[in-house]
Amino acid sequence: MSDRLKIILLLLPAMSVIVLLFFGGLLIGLMRSFNYMPVIGLTEPNLQAYINVFTDEEFYWSFLLSFHISFTSTLISCILAVGAALLLRRAFIGRAVINFLFQLNLTVPHLVGAIGILYLFSQSGVFARLAAEVDLIQRPADFPAMVFDPFAIGIILQYVWKEVPFIGVIVLANMQALGENYESVARSLGASKWQTFRHVLLPLIFPGILSASVIVFAFTFGAYEIPALLGANYPAALPVLAYRSYTDVDLAARPEAMALAIIIAILSAVMIFIYIRYSRKRVRS
Amino acid sequence: MIGQDGLWTKTFRYITCLLLVTWLVLPLIPLAIWSVARGWFFPDILPRMWTLDAWRYALSDTSGVLDALWLTIGISLAATVLSILVGVPAGRALGMYKFKGKEVIELMILAPTIVPGIAVVLGVHTVFIYLGLTNTVHGVILVHLIPTLPYMTLVMAGIFSNYDPAFEAQARSLGASPLKTFWYVTLPAIMPGIIVGGLFAFLVSWSQYILTLLVGGGRVVTLPLLLFNFATSGRNDITGAIGMIYILPGILILTLTAKQLSGRSGAVGGFGRI
Amino acid sequence: MTHVSIQELTKVYPGADTPALDRLSLEIASGELTALLGPSGCGKTTTMKMIAGLLEPTSGDVRFDDRSILRDKPEHRGVVMVFQNYLLFPYMSVADNVGFGLKMRKTDPTEIKRRVSEMLDLVKLPDVGDRRPSALSGGQQQRIALARALIVQPEVLLLDEPLSNLDAHLRFEMRDLIRSLQQEMGITTIFVTHDQEEAVVLADRVALILDGQMKQYDRADAFYKRPVDEATARFFGGHNFIPGKSVGGTFDGPLGQLTLADGAVEGAGKLTFRPENVRVGQGDGNNLSARVADVIYLGTQTRLKLRVGETEIDAVVNPNEVEGFKPGDIVPIHLPPQTLWVIS
Repeated sequence: MSDRLKIILLLLPAMSVIVLLFFGGLLIGLMRSFNYMPVIGLTEPNLQAYINVFTDEEFYWSFLLSFHISFTSTLISCILAVGAALLLRRAFIGRAVINFLFQLNLTVPHLVGAIGILYLFSQSGVFARLAAEVDLIQRPADFPAMVFDPFAIGIILQYVWKEVPFIGVIVLANMQALGENYESVARSLGASKWQTFRHVLLPLIFPGILSASVIVFAFTFGAYEIPALLGANYPAALPVLAYRSYTDVDLAARPEAMALAIIIAILSAVMIFIYIRYSRKRVRS
Repeated sequence: MIGQDGLWTKTFRYITCLLLVTWLVLPLIPLAIWSVARGWFFPDILPRMWTLDAWRYALSDTSGVLDALWLTIGISLAATVLSILVGVPAGRALGMYKFKGKEVIELMILAPTIVPGIAVVLGVHTVFIYLGLTNTVHGVILVHLIPTLPYMTLVMAGIFSNYDPAFEAQARSLGASPLKTFWYVTLPAIMPGIIVGGLFAFLVSWSQYILTLLVGGGRVVTLPLLLFNFATSGRNDITGAIGMIYILPGILILTLTAKQLSGRSGAVGGFGRI
Repeated sequence: MTHVSIQELTKVYPGADTPALDRLSLEIASGELTALLGPSGCGKTTTMKMIAGLLEPTSGDVRFDDRSILRDKPEHRGVVMVFQNYLLFPYMSVADNVGFGLKMRKTDPTEIKRRVSEMLDLVKLPDVGDRRPSALSGGQQQRIALARALIVQPEVLLLDEPLSNLDAHLRFEMRDLIRSLQQEMGITTIFVTHDQEEAVVLADRVALILDGQMKQYDRADAFYKRPVDEATARFFGGHNFIPGKSVGGTFDGPLGQLTLADGAVEGAGKLTFRPENVRVGQGDGNNLSARVADVIYLGTQTRLKLRVGETEIDAVVNPNEVEGFKPGDIVPIHLPPQTLWVIS
């Protein structure tokens, strides 16, 4: 058997699954978003769904909210993850415990974390009770709204909780693979601790941070159940809006849901593009 | 370690570590307490009474929690086995061969790990309606392949890129048939990858919510769906109990594979989807 | 020019039973090029890192011109260390790498530019400034790493195995470059190596460290002619060690009575001589008759395994002198007295 044929046969099952399910799903979504579906008699594609989406104020608020959730969560997670990785790369008593907790947290589904955040930060949650205990508040309503709130604080807290270990584990592996010699060189050439971090360690681990960030950003932009549980009713995060439109009793809203799905897909395509471009650049240098 | 740290730095490090540990376990604590609490109202810091009622209810035949548990295990196992069967050959092609268009293939396999499920599942649902796969377990298993298969393939590609096919040639020249060669030479060599990749695929499938919700149409009730329903209906005690059951496999898998999860493995990317 | 004084320097890593470095003392005259020689794991790199401030010593002191530097931060010590695998920052251009130390000192950018191009001229790589380090060969990377270190005009330069990653023909080029730059700039330089040839070729003086302890600190040729003990001699390729007793200028042992040069150590000890100093044929004194056990042709030289009585002697000779020798032959040899050395 020639290598060519072998490769094709080896790849065929996996590529069928991915092309049919993943790209097929995307394509059907794209067609439906243009109101084009010959099988059920829709033969005239149009832009009505997109016009509806882009003329609806809620869409803009939702988009802004989702972007704010993803951007803020990713940024805070990255900063804390780098800090945590710096902490964990040093040998000290108890490091094994923290390392285990780090990894434990990785296996806990987002949904469980979201419920935990709900019980911690809601107006009758653990923190509200602690505030009441020290007489900071009298009634639950006195506690600042941190879940179901317009700034999505609870959602961001949940993502930070889950993603700090995720990015941290990747960054830590990166640091351990690099060792400390590059930093030693910089110190010996006259760089201070801060300069060494800023000019040597950070650029060296940046590719790892970036690839982890891309995954985190895309995930937080497209996840449904966390904003569905912790988010305010209006504006809702983009995935929640898409799900609502899709399950609307009015079937006419379905193309709009598809249009929203396509917008989310386009944003993640941009993420992939950044990722590929950067990783290519790394390969070249 | 470069140089020596002062007392101040050490104290700072211990305090931040303490904060980190607290933060890492914090959200799980109220869930655990709720699962054994009765009448835990504002502003009580701890419940007035402790009870195993929520656990008794969750583990009873009537609550549907056990049904959901078995169903979730079944779906995740099926998705994992299918991912292994399909992902191992693909991983072999990507890990061992250089060919034209390989980058495109890799990109196509990478894409589902980044594109969110909601962007794809609406279209998939539309098609599954015509295929009669909506509201069925089969449909749910199939749609779970979208997030699980890429990880399996990427993990196996990593394994195969460090694999020397000369061992297979050696076995053949010693008289082993292709099947025996696979069974006695290839399989043992790639087994660690299959196990790690498989456990990841299982966890990724285990944590799916929106794919199950849409394709299952509310008829295929897995644990996360049940958990979400109880969480939004305000039954905090039962939510706590289900939550505890739901995170158990992850902890189990972690203790089994802790050494493999060093972040250098391609599998860690899978955590982004759990 | 800086005089470096290392005093009883000791490092015990946490959890280790034996010290990685045991009370090393060394005086390095200003402007000298000194080699720390020893097998891998003998504490050489540990020593360098402690001098550079990248590792805290357990005890002991390092002094530059009689001032202890142990309290100084690494960036303020005036010491630059060049690592074995060069460690050029991969995400920076070559010019940015060379100018790194000046940038950290907040030197004016135009000044940095000027000195970088000066430095690149000095290491004879004037045109590579815009390239990435990965586009350079190993030898070129080594020179850039050297330029990056020298541009900050350190008082003390530390080199980790500077020649060991290079091909044979590049080694001499690099050796000449290091020596000329070091002498021109008058920088006290210490390098570590596990390769005795590298040490001998490059250094003014060599400190041999075995098992965390310094054995001998001397000019390079002394290790061949006057090793302090058998381990030192063996490290430098010595083979012949014959037990016996040295009395009044003669050595009494299994080879009979051999005449020694003046000033030999008295008493029980071991006689050693280098294989290349064994002469075939009759000569002045110490004539012996040996049986050839084996003849190993090595191209430019021939190694003879000889037996005198029960004693084995290794000899390395010019192939022309021993043409036609075969195992079993009885041949005359002699050991010139000035090449014999007694280890007590």
